[in-house]
Amino acid sequence: MTRSDTKLETQDRTVSIFPLFSRPVLEWLFWLLLAAVVYSLTGGFDEPIAEYRFGAAGWPRALCAALAFGATGQLIYKLTKKRPLVDPQAEVEPEAASQSLSFRARLQRIGVFVAPFIYLYATPQIGFYVATPFLILAILLLLEVRKLKALAGVTFVVYGLVLLVFTRFFYVALPVGRIETFYDINNWIIALVRTGM
Amino acid sequence: MVEFIGGTLTLFGDPTAVMLFGLGLIGGMLFGAIPGVNMLTLGAVLLPFTINMEAPHAVMLFSVIYCSGVFGGAITAILFNIPGAPENAPTCFDGYPMTVKGQSGKAIGAAVSCSAIGGVASAVVMMAATPLIAGWAVRAFGPQEIFALIFFGLAVSASVGAETLWKGWLSVFAGLIIATIGTDPVGGVPRFNEGSVLGMEFSSYYLSAGIHFIPMILGFFAVSEVFTQAMSIAEGNRKRPKANLEFPSLAEFWAVRFTMLRSMFLGFFAGILPGIGATLAAFLGYSQAVRWSKTPERFGKGELAGVVASETANNSATGAAMIPLLALGLPGGALTAMIMGIFQIHGMEPGPLIFINSSDLVWITFAAMFWANLCIVFLGWLQTKTVVHILNVPFRWLAPGILLLATIGAYALRNLMVDVWVMFLAGAIGFFLRRTGYSAAGIVLGLILGKLGESAFAKSMQLMDYDFLGFFSRPIAAFLIIAAVLTIVSSIWNEIRGRELQKALID
Repeated sequence: MTRSDTKLETQDRTVSIFPLFSRPVLEWLFWLLLAAVVYSLTGGFDEPIAEYRFGAAGWPRALCAALAFGATGQLIYKLTKKRPLVDPQAEVEPEAASQSLSFRARLQRIGVFVAPFIYLYATPQIGFYVATPFLILAILLLLEVRKLKALAGVTFVVYGLVLLVFTRFFYVALPVGRIETFYDINNWIIALVRTGM
Repeated sequence: MVEFIGGTLTLFGDPTAVMLFGLGLIGGMLFGAIPGVNMLTLGAVLLPFTINMEAPHAVMLFSVIYCSGVFGGAITAILFNIPGAPENAPTCFDGYPMTVKGQSGKAIGAAVSCSAIGGVASAVVMMAATPLIAGWAVRAFGPQEIFALIFFGLAVSASVGAETLWKGWLSVFAGLIIATIGTDPVGGVPRFNEGSVLGMEFSSYYLSAGIHFIPMILGFFAVSEVFTQAMSIAEGNRKRPKANLEFPSLAEFWAVRFTMLRSMFLGFFAGILPGIGATLAAFLGYSQAVRWSKTPERFGKGELAGVVASETANNSATGAAMIPLLALGLPGGALTAMIMGIFQIHGMEPGPLIFINSSDLVWITFAAMFWANLCIVFLGWLQTKTVVHILNVPFRWLAPGILLLATIGAYALRNLMVDVWVMFLAGAIGFFLRRTGYSAAGIVLGLILGKLGESAFAKSMQLMDYDFLGFFSRPIAAFLIIAAVLTIVSSIWNEIRGRELQKALID
């Protein structure tokens, strides 16, 4: 191998500055954008405080500057960093594994993220006591529990324990819903759980 | 010594006192372990009943709840990545990775032993030097020292759990920025509760109260863990952690002796300072363990010293927190404020005279805290032998329970659904942070230390007439600031040196 070949190989291993949409640049842009948005929002409360010279916006602005400095430091660090020698096959594998995921597996992955947010949206409307068994079932199904016995058993045990511990013993106030019918059902469940108390 | 023996005999010679001692011990441990309720919940429930109790019994009961409650949350932190209480959050950093590695018994064993050691040591110092230490610490630690201490903690925290130093710092800065949401600590000016982003206006009454760190902790640790495990199940590559009952060996304890001593010292001083308490003690203990370790890169990946540091420090703070309360009448946190309330209910006033006027109360409390910390070893050992078996239950069955516990924990905090939203959003963000090498621990540290730090900085500036060099006119503050700067410089140096080493290897 000639000296020029070695030089060429070293250059190949260095992360190029030119791709503007490489991950380090995107990360830098993200942090910079975040710092800029936060900085612009500080204008809304940039009020002088009688006994404090830096005012309400001083500290957050200093943090924005620190964030921008840190992000730039990280970008410079990454762009000037050389990649360690790795097996090219090994780099391809995770991507390939990700691409080989079936449509069902992809849906399952999305579902895991989406289900709790649907629950969060529904709970204030239909109440914790009605929404919760559906969340338990949804999570179990998303985690590939398929046996009817397990689905029913785990839902019953988890829901039962939550009711017993938090509603009967600790009197934790949980949302009972805004929609009238669900409001009544939730209160009926609470009354049932607290029977005899 | 004679007073301590007298206090012990009074405690165990009175059946009512023994019953209350047992109730406080088990109740504190139980309430500490369940997210959504904590020792403060138990304290608040029991407070009205103390009217009918004798004052020494009531104060003793609350002191025991304080000791066992601080320990209780370690179990769920280690087994499920759900800290039962904020002071157990740093225990998650290494406790849960140890569980994943099949070392749950070791992690719980270390937590049990170190909580007891930290608590007992703290109780002993409390008995020996309450009036002396309280006066000195409260005089010597002003806002400048508190800011310097927090700055030092932050300087170290950048290296916790992140892929690179830069990512660690960015995580800490992000946490510090989140901590500024709410009201400013000097003038009470609302910040970030309304504004406009890209032409879209927003206004939120909720944001005026700030983002509470408990939903963030639950999201970053518990919810993101469920997401991560669920992804592994979907991708078909999840490995099940093995339940393990092995306790740490004496050699392993010997190896972390300096970590334990350092955490004891830090926990004790954090406990004495009003408003600092066990949470900051745990974080400082952990960050200093990383700072002084020869293998800091192993922290966050299941290092025993991480669990030892956090659990020793938070329990060391319990005895110390009683010192300003009893000696000066200064409660340092919520539970010590409740104890102050008990004094007032019974027409008593804590302060230097309490050692003369109510020495029986003081010594029964000291003795109870000492024995409660020792009992943690036995109860903790029992827990280790029983609770660890939960890991044999398939994760698919546990996941809904973990999500629900976290949901109730976040909601019960302020009865706000927004806290639950914050928790799930933090969970989703935490999931991506893990994949991109940023540090959830860094964000949480920034969030917790940020509010205290800003407040101490503002007070310091006012006291020093905006002269930054004023920090160097106070020896403790100067020492801490210099230590923090040296920490930052040395970590940057290590990063550059590591990179040059890597470059040399490539070349």
